[in-house]
Amino acid sequence: MAAAPLLEVSGVGKRFGGLVAVAEVSFAVQEGEIFSVIGPNGAGKTTLFSLLVGSQRPTTGSIRFRGEEIAGLRNDQVVARGLVRTHQIVRPFRDMTVKQNVSVGALFGSKQLRGEAAPAKVAEVLERTGLAARARVLAGTLTIGELKRLEIARALATEPTVLCLDEVMGGLNPAEIQGAMALIREIRKSGITVLMIEHHVHAVVGVSDRVMVLNFGRKIAEGRPQEVLRDPAVVSAYLGDEEGAAA
Amino acid sequence: MEKLAGVLLSSLFAAGLYATMSYGLAVIYGVMRIINLAHAGLMMLAAYVTLSLNTWLGLDPFLSLLVVAPLFFGIGVVLDLTIVRRLPRGGNAPSMQSLLLLFGLWLVLQNLAYLVWSGDTQSILTPYTMTSVHLLGESYGVPLLLVFGVSGLSLVGLDLLLRRTFLGKAIRAVTQNRDAARLSGVNADRISAVAFGLGTAFAAIAGTMMSTLYAFTPDFGRSFLLKAFCIIVLGGLGSFTGVAVGALVLALIENVFAAYTPIPTSFQDAISFSLLVLVLVAAPNGLPALFRGFSRKALAR
Amino acid sequence: MKAPLTRSLVWFGVLAAGLLGAPAAAERGTLNDLWNVAFAIVLASAWNLLGGFAGQISLGYSAFVGIGAYTTVLLAMAGWNPWLTLPVAAALAVAFSVIIGLPTFRLRGPYFSIATIGVGEAVRVIASGVEFTGGSSGLRMPSGGFNFISNYYGMAVLALFTVAVVFFIHHDAFGLALDAIRQDIDAAEALGVQSTRYKLLAHAVSAALVGAAGGLFAMNFQYISPGSVFDFRLSLSIVLMPIVGGIATLVGPVLGAVLFSYLQIKLLASPALRDSYLFIYGGLLMAVMLFEPRGMVGLWERLVRLRSRQRPQAAEA
Repeated sequence: MAAAPLLEVSGVGKRFGGLVAVAEVSFAVQEGEIFSVIGPNGAGKTTLFSLLVGSQRPTTGSIRFRGEEIAGLRNDQVVARGLVRTHQIVRPFRDMTVKQNVSVGALFGSKQLRGEAAPAKVAEVLERTGLAARARVLAGTLTIGELKRLEIARALATEPTVLCLDEVMGGLNPAEIQGAMALIREIRKSGITVLMIEHHVHAVVGVSDRVMVLNFGRKIAEGRPQEVLRDPAVVSAYLGDEEGAAA
Repeated sequence: MEKLAGVLLSSLFAAGLYATMSYGLAVIYGVMRIINLAHAGLMMLAAYVTLSLNTWLGLDPFLSLLVVAPLFFGIGVVLDLTIVRRLPRGGNAPSMQSLLLLFGLWLVLQNLAYLVWSGDTQSILTPYTMTSVHLLGESYGVPLLLVFGVSGLSLVGLDLLLRRTFLGKAIRAVTQNRDAARLSGVNADRISAVAFGLGTAFAAIAGTMMSTLYAFTPDFGRSFLLKAFCIIVLGGLGSFTGVAVGALVLALIENVFAAYTPIPTSFQDAISFSLLVLVLVAAPNGLPALFRGFSRKALAR
Repeated sequence: MKAPLTRSLVWFGVLAAGLLGAPAAAERGTLNDLWNVAFAIVLASAWNLLGGFAGQISLGYSAFVGIGAYTTVLLAMAGWNPWLTLPVAAALAVAFSVIIGLPTFRLRGPYFSIATIGVGEAVRVIASGVEFTGGSSGLRMPSGGFNFISNYYGMAVLALFTVAVVFFIHHDAFGLALDAIRQDIDAAEALGVQSTRYKLLAHAVSAALVGAAGGLFAMNFQYISPGSVFDFRLSLSIVLMPIVGGIATLVGPVLGAVLFSYLQIKLLASPALRDSYLFIYGGLLMAVMLFEPRGMVGLWERLVRLRSRQRPQAAEA
C-alpha cells in the first residue's frame, strides 16, 4: 500500500476577476517521484505552481504538504517548509554574483544556514549544476542556459523536499536538454521530489514517473507518460478537435 | 436637515475642483504609467501666470484660462519631448526614476517662481471675489461657483474628447494596453506627448481656478497633490470615471469631518494625508474594485 | 577579498581622524561646518539602508529627526540629562518606524514613496497643531549645561557608528536580503526571504540612528519647531544626499553628505545663491536621474572604465 502522499492538492482553483485560470484541480504526489504537468499554452500550469508555493492565493481548494495545510501561506513560509519553485522566465539578481545569488537560497531557505554551512552548501550546489567556474561572475552576464541552471541552483540551495521546475528546458539546445535531464535525475536520486512543467515531450517521457495534463485550467488526464500521451482527450487538446475525433 | 444639504452642496462644489486637479494626474498616469510629482509645480506656476496676466493686463482669471490652458498644453508637450522621453521605459509598473525626475522638476519650478515672483504670499482679487450667493440656507462665494462651473465644463470637454474623438479612443487604448494599442496602429509616443500636454493643461486649469480661491506661495500645491493622488487611487488607477467618484468621496469626507466633528481646520490636511495612506494600503485598486469584490462575495453566498 | 576590506578600513580611518581630530586643530566656525557634515552623514547613510540597499525610497524621514528632537527637548524640560534622552529618542523613532512600516510596506515602489510623503506631512501638521509640542511655535531646550565640544564629539561618534553599522549590515546576510529585496522582491520571497520583516528591521535601524541625530540636533540648536525638524525640505535633503552621492553604495551617502554640506555653506554665504537652492537640488536630482542614476559613485566608475579602456596594455588586475 502506498504511503501517504507528500503533496496532496484537492479542488484547487484560482480566478482573476472573471477569468478562471485554474479550476478544481486535484492530484497527489508521492515522495521521490518525478511528476510532470503538461498542457497547451495558457492551460494554467504556471498559475498552479504559483498557488502551490504561495505566491498566489487559491480562491478554492486545499493544498496539504506533509499533512499540513499550506494554502494561503506566504511564499517565504512555504519555502521554509521545503517547497520551492523556479521561474519560467528567469529572475536572477542581476547585480549580484552567481555565488551571491545562490547564497540567498542557502541563507534564507528551509535550513537558514549560517556560518560555514552556507558557503559549503553554495559550493556544493554550484558543483552539481556546473556553475562552479562562473561563481564570481555577475548574474547579468550569464547565458540563458547558465541562467536556467542558476534558477535551479538557487532553489536547490534552499534545501527543498519538493522542487518545482517551471519549463527549465525552454530555450535550451539538445545537448543542454540532455544535461538538464541528467541533473533532474540526479536531484531525484539525492532525495528531492520533483514536479516539472514541461513542453518537451521527449524530456517528459524520458524522466517522469507520472504525468498530469491540464487544459483551460482543468485536469484532463493523469497517469504514466506513455498512457497519457496516447489519450485521445490529450491529443485533441494539443492538436484541435478534428484530429482528435479522427484518432 | 439643512446642514446636511449644505454639506452635500459644499462637497459637490469642492469635488469639481478636486476632479479637475486630479484628471491631469490621471491622464499622465494612465497613458504613461508615470507619477507626475511636478503636477503640483505646474498648478502653482499656472496660478502665478494667471496672477501676472491679471496684474499687467487686468485679465480676469477665468478668461485667462483661454490663454493659460493652451500655453500649458504646449509646455507639457515640450516637457515630454525634452525630458520625460529620455527615461527608459519601465514596462507596466511605474518607475522610481520618473518619479524622482519629475520631483526634481517640481523643485526647479518652485525656485523659478521664487525668482520671478518672490516668495511673498499672493492672491488675486477681482470685483466678485468677495461676493456670494445664497443656496439652501448657506452662502457660497461666487468664485467657488464659477470654479465649479468651469470644472464641469472642462470635465465634460474631456469626456467628449475621450469618447467621441479618435484621439480620445487612442488615449484610452494606450491606457488599457500600450502594446496592443501600438499593434493596432496607434503611435504611442505621440499619444504620450499629447497625454502629457493634456495633463499639464488640466493642471494649469486647476491652478488658475485655485488662484481665485486661495492665497498662494511657490510651495503651494503639495497638499493638493497628495489629495489628487488619493483621489486617483480611490477611483481606481487608470479609470477616468473613477476620478470623479474619488473626488466626490474625498470632498464628502472632508466636509463631513469639518461639519460634524470638532477637529480644527488645521488638522484637515492630516485627515486627507492619513486617508491617502489608508487608501493605498486598504484599497489599492480603488473603490470600484472594492465594491466589485464585495458584491461578488455577497453573490457567492 | 582582502584588498577592498583594507581600503574600506583606510577610508574609515581617514574619516574618523578627520572628524575626531578636528577639535584639536580647527576653530569654532570650521567645527560648526564639520558638525553639519557629521549630521548629514548620519542622515544620508541611515536612510540609504532602507532607501538605497533595500530600495524602498521614503520621502518622510524628517519625521524621525523631529521625533528624536522633540523627545530630547521634552524630556530635558522634565529634568532629564540630555544625553540620557538620546536612547529614548532612538527608541521612540523605532516605534514610529514600525507603526508606519507595517501598513506602508505592503506598497511597492512609487506608491510606498507617496505614502511616506503623506505620513511625513500628517506628522508635521499634527505636531503644529498639538499643545504639548508647543504648537507651531516650537519648543526651547532648558538652558545651562550645554557644551558644544561634547555635542560635537557625540555627533561625530554617531556618524562613525552609523557608517560602521551600515558596513556590517551590508556584509552580513541581512544586507544580502536587502539587496535581493531591492532587485526582485518576488524572487527573493520565492527563495525564503521574509521581505516585510527585513524591511521593518532596516527601517528600525535607520530610524534609531536618525532619531538619535535628531536629539543631538535639538541639544545643539536649542530651539526646535515643526518648521525646522518636520519640514519636507529636510526629508528632501535626506533623500538627495545618497541619491546624488551614489545610492546603494557605502561611500555614496558620505560623498553626498559632504557635497551638500559644502553647498549649504556656499549658499548661505552668497545672497544670490541662497534663493537658488531648490534649483540646485532639483537640478541635481534631474541630472542624476537622466544621466547617471548611480550618482557620483557611478560617475567615478564610468571614469575608471574609460581610463582602463584607454590603456589596453595595462596589466590584468
